[in-house]
Amino acid sequence: MSLPGFESGIIIDEQQIQKHIITIPIGSEWRIEIPFKSFFKFKVISGIAEINGTELPNNTELQLSGTKLAIYSPKTSQIGYFLVDNKDSIYDNGDNEFSEYLSNETNMSSIINLSMFIESRRQLNKSGPRILIVGGKFSGKSSLAKILSSYSLKLNNSPILVNLNPRDGVFSLPGSLTATPISDSFDIEAFNGYGLTTTTGTSRQNPKQPIVKNYGFTNYKDNLDLYKYQVSRLAVSVLSRLENDPSVNKSGIIIDTPPINNLKNKDDVSLIETIITDFQIDIVVVIGNEKLTLDLKNKFKHKKDSINIIKINKSQGCVELSDRFIRMAQEQSIKEYFHGTYKNRLSPFKIDIDLEGLKLYKFVLTKDFLSTMSFLPAGDEETENTNNEENILDKYYQILEDPSSSNLENSLITITHLEATNNSPGKDLLDTSVLGFVHISKVDDEKKKIKVLLPFPGVFPKNNYLISTNIGYSE
Amino acid sequence: MSNDLIRQYETKLNQLTFNSRPIIDELTIVAKDNPIIADQIVDLIKNRIYKAVPDQKLFILYLLDSICKTVGNPYNIFIADEVYDLYTHVFQFLNDTLRNKMVNLLNTWKEMKTISNDPLFPEEELAKIEEFIKKAGYPKNIIPEAQQLLINDITQIIPIFENKIKTNPTPKLQERYTALGQLKTMLSNQVITPAELAAVQNHLHNIKQQELRNSNTPTPAATPAPTPAQVTQPPIQVQVAQVVEPQRQASLPPKPQSRPQTNSGPPSLPPVPQIPKINIAIGLFNDLLLSGLVKKDQEPIPGSKPTYSLVFPETKYSPMSNNEEVSISQLEDILLASSGVARSEYEKLKFGEILTISKKTKTNDQLQQFINSNKPSSSMINLLYEDKPKKCPTCGKRFTDDTDGLTKHRLHFDWHFRINKKISTKGGNIQSRNWYLDDYDWVHFKDENLLEFSTTETIMATPEVEMNVTQPGSQYVVVPPNDTNMINRCVICREQVKATYNDEVGEWCWLDCIRVPGEPKNSRKIVHISCFNESNKKRSAETELNTNVKREKL
Repeated sequence: MSLPGFESGIIIDEQQIQKHIITIPIGSEWRIEIPFKSFFKFKVISGIAEINGTELPNNTELQLSGTKLAIYSPKTSQIGYFLVDNKDSIYDNGDNEFSEYLSNETNMSSIINLSMFIESRRQLNKSGPRILIVGGKFSGKSSLAKILSSYSLKLNNSPILVNLNPRDGVFSLPGSLTATPISDSFDIEAFNGYGLTTTTGTSRQNPKQPIVKNYGFTNYKDNLDLYKYQVSRLAVSVLSRLENDPSVNKSGIIIDTPPINNLKNKDDVSLIETIITDFQIDIVVVIGNEKLTLDLKNKFKHKKDSINIIKINKSQGCVELSDRFIRMAQEQSIKEYFHGTYKNRLSPFKIDIDLEGLKLYKFVLTKDFLSTMSFLPAGDEETENTNNEENILDKYYQILEDPSSSNLENSLITITHLEATNNSPGKDLLDTSVLGFVHISKVDDEKKKIKVLLPFPGVFPKNNYLISTNIGYSE
Repeated sequence: MSNDLIRQYETKLNQLTFNSRPIIDELTIVAKDNPIIADQIVDLIKNRIYKAVPDQKLFILYLLDSICKTVGNPYNIFIADEVYDLYTHVFQFLNDTLRNKMVNLLNTWKEMKTISNDPLFPEEELAKIEEFIKKAGYPKNIIPEAQQLLINDITQIIPIFENKIKTNPTPKLQERYTALGQLKTMLSNQVITPAELAAVQNHLHNIKQQELRNSNTPTPAATPAPTPAQVTQPPIQVQVAQVVEPQRQASLPPKPQSRPQTNSGPPSLPPVPQIPKINIAIGLFNDLLLSGLVKKDQEPIPGSKPTYSLVFPETKYSPMSNNEEVSISQLEDILLASSGVARSEYEKLKFGEILTISKKTKTNDQLQQFINSNKPSSSMINLLYEDKPKKCPTCGKRFTDDTDGLTKHRLHFDWHFRINKKISTKGGNIQSRNWYLDDYDWVHFKDENLLEFSTTETIMATPEVEMNVTQPGSQYVVVPPNDTNMINRCVICREQVKATYNDEVGEWCWLDCIRVPGEPKNSRKIVHISCFNESNKKRSAETELNTNVKREKL
């Protein structure tokens, strides 16, 4: 197996980097699209430049791949760069080339204003502002969340960044919901621009320590009940952390969400209501969507004294991503979970274990669940409300029957913190959080053995409940 | 039966929300007739005292007092142990007047004897209470009306002095001002005999007269913006007199002759507080006259019509002690004091920016306007960049250039250096991703442990590390007796460890290693001490490690 970006020993040629030099004028953005098949190597020669609020070091070589982003110059900067091929051919599909352009039409002034307003709220109140970012698809929610987090950090805060968009893995894998105190800069070279969590050794950048909740799908609509349940559980942990941690409490929360365009759909309305109530939101930032802003203002009229609803213009630099691009990005973040970044390699651990005796569950797609329910005679839905714990679990997780190569091979398994007992786990399985993920690369149906990739060299925690995700991955 | 009684008693007790003799009497009689449930009644009353709103606590204490005094045994005995707690509890919630009443109450307790001629409450309890109220500055003697009037007089003269001191500070003036202040404190804290009172009054009168004379001599500094009209004597006397004796000025025509009346002795003065009698606006206007902000021009003929004009003070008025107008710098000081942390230069700069911003974002509309169209000022942008001038060339992180910032900068540099050194050693930094924390650990996790500034002290402080780790070289793991494979690996760095024979213990050992904490005696799982320490550095929050795999975060 070869890993992209792991060809160490590439010494950046000083002359190569001088080949292309671009000057980014003050207040402008240099928007670049880097295909997966290339490595974009660059360094800031002079001035100040930043990516999503994270300031870049001067005269240090950096590398990016498979991403579309903007380098912003708060003070005119000069950047030298060149591209090299990613020799790993699996991404060589030629569907896009490196592209770049400069623009001085940014929404950065508004974002700086917003950051300063947020800071003023921190000074006013003992507990910091709880900010919810909403907006449509590809409107720059995650970028805004990163910039707000980074600027908060620069102003001596460490806010909790909460990711509720299961499409992205934020300090975790896609399919999970996380909350992470941002106590140090993001690692812009890491995939998706977040960075590593704690490792057994020392990393070049200080790691982060997230709490990770199970969701198992990349679309929040796949099982909205489970999604909302986990959002609420995450909120409980986050609010408890705030109570225990004055510095985080002072800094507040910044929440990134899945795309929502308007409040026509009652599911979306109830989702926003859940988030606002559970996290005790006091600032809602809507990106570039007048309709959604108005809808929210109407919806939360009764709370207009306790919730500020702020509209912020969408950046001109937002680009649509193809499903293919998103899928590749997800694969990259899975790879990074096990193998680390090119500057911080991680060593995962492969072992063979018995399939027998594993406590395997699977995530339930709501539409599948409803179709099984429809076979029940009318009126039986009532029984759903009985206190039978097994039934309560049914619409979220179900026992994985007949684990075999067909339903396990090349998939990711969530290991929960919950240890198995003889009884059914019931609600405890819903309330637990994620210990980690393992990848099943091979299932030997005859010998009932599986080959597992563990992030960490140790014993496979086979006494813990496992949940098979719907996220496939092959090395 | 008795339950009913208790319930009724409680209901009645809850009605004791004002000082009602009938209710107290009724409840006392019930208590007297039912000594069998005395303990329950006492409990009810105690609870009620603690639960009642502050204003009503005293009435319930009165009830307790009534019961103990009229019934005595067993009530006074039941309450004896707690009388101190109850008394001090109620005392803390009361204002000065009511506190004085409580002092009286205590005095009656001291004198009162029960039928059997025992003290009402144990003397030591009462002594404790006395000690307590003494500490609180009581008994504050009830200040006689006359004395109170004198205090009012002084209170009104003091501002005149303040004003003068500000414009023309002379040592003599300062001395008098101080003396006045002391006099006021003395008068408000103790009762003085009528003779003393008369003496004070005389003295005060002298001061007043003198000051009035002084103010009649036109010293430019004494009154801001002097005008010829101010030289005229009578009007100014009137001004002062109006303030000093407002209630008489209200009824009498303004004339200097009213002055001697001050000497006619306090008993002749109306026994009501003075200020409310006259229109507040008149008082305010007089204050303005006195302060010199309003100038009064009047012919030196009694009854002539004065003309008023506004005067702006030369020196800006700065608030003294008990002012509600607080300037921004004071606000900042208050915030600073409340946070208990000294504010760095950077924080001060930030605070300045934020003050302006919070003024611009008061309403929702203003806020949206601010977000959309405010052009960030350079001082605002600098907060993100140049106000922290020390930028790390390796990672772009910024530090301030004050002591704290420089210390962090140095630690940060050391940290980069350590890491680079470690990474350049081949195989020196083989690492894997840890498991995530569970909810409980995460909630109690402190992110400082992840940063380069965390000190080694905290690392060594974890009990587990102390237990397992001493000096490298003195640690080894004995190869399990039934094990034939002498070659092992560190579970963290995966490096091979070969067993060597240790002469001292006569066993084959893996040197510089420890067994993974929580592993059984014969386990082959070992880690290098150095790897163990390194990984613990990042995990000093973890304290317990057992066989439970989720803890296996070495």
